[in-house]
Amino acid sequence: MLKKDLILKNPLRALEPETGPNAAPSRMGLVIARRGVGKTAMLVQFALDSLLRGNRVLHVSIGQKLEKTKAWYEDLFEDLSRSYRLDHAGQVHDEIARNRLIMTFKATAFSGPKLEERLNDLLYQDIFRPECMVIDGYDFESATRPQVQDLLDLTQAMSLHTWFSAVRHREDPRTSELGVPVPCDKFEDLFDTILLLDPEEKGIALRTLKDEFSDAAGKRKLILDPATFLVSTLDHQSPDKTNESGRQ
Amino acid sequence: MNDLAKVRNIGISAHIDSGKTTLTERILFYTDRIHAIHDVKGKDGVGAKMDSMELEKERGITIQSAATSCTWRNHTVNIIDTPGHVDFTIEVERALRVLDGAVLVLCSVGGVQSQSITVDRQMTRYKVPRVAFINKCDRTGANPERVTAQLRKKLNHNAVMMQIPIGLEADLEGVVDLVTMKALYFDGANGEIVRVEEVPVSLRGQAENKREEMLDAVSMFSEELMEAILEGTPTEEMIREAVRRGTLSLELTPVFLGSAYKNKAVQPLLDAVTDYLPGPLDIENTALDLAQDEKEIRLPCGVDDPLVCLAFKLEDGRYGQLTYIRTYQGTLKKGDTIINSRNGRKVKVGRLVRMHADEMEDIEVSPAGDIVALFGVDCASGDTFTAPGVSFSMTSMHVPNPVISLAVQPKDHKAQDNMGKALNRFSKEDPTFKTHVDAETGETIISGMGELHLEVYLERMRREYGAEVEAGAPQVAYRETITRKAEFNYTHKKQTGGAGQFGRVAGYMEPLEDGDYEFVSKITGGSIPTEYIPSLDKGFRKCLKKGSLASFPLTGVRLVVDDGASHSVDSSDNAFQAAAKGAFREAYAKSAPVLLEPVMKVVVEGPSEFQGAIMGGLSQRRGIISGTYEEGTYTVIEAEVPLAEMFGYSTVLRSATQGKAEFTMEFASYRTLPKSLTDEVIKGADEKRKTSAA
Repeated sequence: MLKKDLILKNPLRALEPETGPNAAPSRMGLVIARRGVGKTAMLVQFALDSLLRGNRVLHVSIGQKLEKTKAWYEDLFEDLSRSYRLDHAGQVHDEIARNRLIMTFKATAFSGPKLEERLNDLLYQDIFRPECMVIDGYDFESATRPQVQDLLDLTQAMSLHTWFSAVRHREDPRTSELGVPVPCDKFEDLFDTILLLDPEEKGIALRTLKDEFSDAAGKRKLILDPATFLVSTLDHQSPDKTNESGRQ
Repeated sequence: MNDLAKVRNIGISAHIDSGKTTLTERILFYTDRIHAIHDVKGKDGVGAKMDSMELEKERGITIQSAATSCTWRNHTVNIIDTPGHVDFTIEVERALRVLDGAVLVLCSVGGVQSQSITVDRQMTRYKVPRVAFINKCDRTGANPERVTAQLRKKLNHNAVMMQIPIGLEADLEGVVDLVTMKALYFDGANGEIVRVEEVPVSLRGQAENKREEMLDAVSMFSEELMEAILEGTPTEEMIREAVRRGTLSLELTPVFLGSAYKNKAVQPLLDAVTDYLPGPLDIENTALDLAQDEKEIRLPCGVDDPLVCLAFKLEDGRYGQLTYIRTYQGTLKKGDTIINSRNGRKVKVGRLVRMHADEMEDIEVSPAGDIVALFGVDCASGDTFTAPGVSFSMTSMHVPNPVISLAVQPKDHKAQDNMGKALNRFSKEDPTFKTHVDAETGETIISGMGELHLEVYLERMRREYGAEVEAGAPQVAYRETITRKAEFNYTHKKQTGGAGQFGRVAGYMEPLEDGDYEFVSKITGGSIPTEYIPSLDKGFRKCLKKGSLASFPLTGVRLVVDDGASHSVDSSDNAFQAAAKGAFREAYAKSAPVLLEPVMKVVVEGPSEFQGAIMGGLSQRRGIISGTYEEGTYTVIEAEVPLAEMFGYSTVLRSATQGKAEFTMEFASYRTLPKSLTDEVIKGADEKRKTSAA
C-alpha cells in the first residue's frame, strides 16, 4: 500500500471533521483512559497520522523517558506499516523521523511557561515549527483552570492541532453529564473533542464524548486492538491480525 | 588460582578525569603490587602505573587499556583499566567483553556526565554487574548524595549508598560502613592503615537513617534478610549476601565513596569488589560453534573442559608483542599447541605471563576465568584460540565501519618505514582503525571512528615509532548506492587474434535494504556454464569497490543473473568477469545512484539556559533533533547530524555555551546525501581524479 492510501484508509479518518482534516485552524483534543489502557498509543497514532500527512509534530512527554517515547513510535509504526503492508516503509520511516521532535519533562519540572519558553526557542531560531502537538502525561488532577486555559491559549496562538492525554481514576466513577470522568469534567468546555478509551471484552472501545466538528459524539466507531493498541473500525478489527504480540 | 570463586575480572570504567587511573594506582599500592604512589599527571615525572604510554602520561588520560593482576583478601583480582573517551569505545567494549564485573567511577563534583552515560550503556549491553565508587569526595563541591541520586535518575540504577562520608571536601576523614556500622579512618603516610572506630556521635542519626534506607532496598533480594530485619536481627553476612545477589542480577548498584588521591576508603572498595562482584562461574559465557553453522552454545567453563580463550588485546611493549587473553574454558598451559579458530593456524604457547601493569610474572598454567598474556603470538585482536578439535569461536564483537579518513604522508624515508610498522600494529590492535593505499593517488589513507581517534594514532605514530607524518584534511567516508531496479544484457566479445573472449550476461540489479551486496544466480538450462557463475560474482564484486558517481564504494546492491550465453572455445573466467563488469556499468547508470553519508548520533548535555543555542547550532549543521530531556538544571539534546558537519564542533559548542556543555557522538547510519551537496562532492571527486591523473 502506498503512503497516500494508508492516510486515506487510516481509521482515524472517522474522527475527522466532515469538511476535512485541516478544516479547523487548531483543534483541542483530549484522550481519557485509565492507566495502561492505551493513552500514549492513541496519541502516538494521532501523531503518526499527522506525520504521514507531511506535518511536523512536537511530542511533549511528561514523566516518561525519551527512549520509551521513541520506542512507542518505532513499535506502532512497525505494526502500522506491517498491518497495512506499507510500501517503502524504511523511506517513510526516515521521512517522519525528520518531522518529529520529542521533548520530555519530569512531572515535577513541567509547566506551561516552561513549555512556552522551549517552543519559543524552537520557533525564533527556526529550528522546528510544529503543526501538531501531543502532550502526554499532563497532570489534570492538580491543574487549575487558568493553567489549562493558558496551555490551550498557547497552542491556539500557534495554530496547533493539539491532543492531550488524561488519566481516569479506576476507583472514581463520577462523570459529567457528557460522560467526562473526574478530574477532566471541570475542563470539558475547554476542549472541542473528548475521547474515552473504555476496555471491554472485544477490545478497547474508543467513545467520542464530545466533538464540535462532527456528529461522532455518542457513536461508537473505533476500537483499539488490545494486543497492538492499533486503532481499527468496529466492523473491521485489524487489516492483518498476524501480530499477536502484546505490549506493556 | 584454581578456586574460580576467588577470581575477579573487573574493569574500572568512567568519565574522563574522574580519577580512575589514580584509583587503580592506589589499588595496586594497597595490594602490594607497587611500592610507591605516583600522580597521573606526573608531578614526580614517573606517572601512574597503569598509564604506561607516553601520550597518556602527558595528557593525564588513559587511552590504551592494560591488564594487571593483584591479590586482595585471598582473591585474585584482574583489573582492566579502560579508556574513558567515546572515540575509543571499541577499546571499552572489548574490555567489557572479557570482564565479569566493573567499578563505575564517578566524580563527586561532576557526577554523572554524558560520557558516564555512554560507558554505562555499554556495560548494560554486556550485562556487566557493577559497584559504583564516588571519587574525589575531598574536592570543593563534593556531593555524593547528589551523585547517587543521579545514578538513579540518569542511569536508572537502583543505587544504594553503602557508606556515608565522615566530613566532606577538605574535611573528609573517612567513611561510615553502613553494614558493620563502624567508622573507618585511613592512617599512615599513604592511608594504608585502616583504623576502625565507633561511629561519631554527630553522625549516628544520619548513619541509622541511611542504613535503614539501604536495608530497605537490599532486603528485596533476600527473604531471609527481610524476616531478620522484621525481627531486628539482620547479620552482616545476610546483608552482604543480599547485596551480592542484587548486584549480580544487575538490579542493585551498591555505592561506595572516598578519595583515591587523598588515600581515603580505597580498601573498603576492594572489599566490595571481592564481596559483591561476580567470579567467572557466576557469569554465563557463550561461544559460536563453527561446525554447527555458528550456533550459540553455552560454555560450561570448567578447567577440565576443552580450551577456549579469546585474544582481546595486543600490545607492543618493551618486552615485544604481548597478546592479552581471557581463558573462558579449560586450562592453557605453557608448551600447549592451540588453534586460532579464525584461520585454523596452529600456535605454540611459548611464554605465558601474568601482567602487573608493566611488570610481569612467568606462569605455567592459566585456568578458565583467568586473564593472562602470551608472548610472540601472531594474531588479531578478537581472535579465539581453542584446543585442537574444538570449533568454537567466542561471540564476535560488533565492529562498526570507519566513518572518517585522512591521507598521511611520511616526512622522510625513515618515517616511511616506521609509519608502515605503526600502521600494521594499530590496525591489528584496533579493528575500527583501517589503513590502505589509494590506488590512484598512491596516498596512504587511515580511517577510523572520529577526528580524535585518528589524531591519537597520529600522535602515537610520532611518539612511539618516531614517524613524523603530515596529515591531510579529514575526509568523510561517503558511499554510493542505487535507488531503483535496472536491467542489463551485456555481451563481452573480443577477437584480436589468438583465443577470443566471449560472454553474455543478462539480469538486473536492485536495491538491497539489509546488507552491502548479494549475488543471486537464477541461471537454468546451462545458458552460462556453472563454472563461470563465480566469475560473474567476482566481476561484480570488483565493481563495488568504486562507484562511477564519485568513486566511492558501493553498498546495498543485489545482482540477479537470469540469462546469458557462452562459447565453447572463447568463454573463460576472464571473459565472464569482463562481461559482469560491463553489465554492472550498463545497469548502474540506469539505477538512479545516489551518495550516502555517515550520520552520527550526537548527544549534547548542557545547562538548560543554553538549550536554544545548542539546538540552533545542531540545526545549522543539518542536524535532526530527535528529542530533548531535562535533568535538573541541565538539558540533554539528542540529534542525528551528518559527520561532515561535525568537524570542529567541540570548539563551536564551547564558545556557544561558555564551555559548560559537552557532547558525545557515535555512528548511527548511512543516509542519502542531499542533491545540492551530492553535486559538490561529485565535483570534488572529479577534481581529485584530475589532479592525481596529472
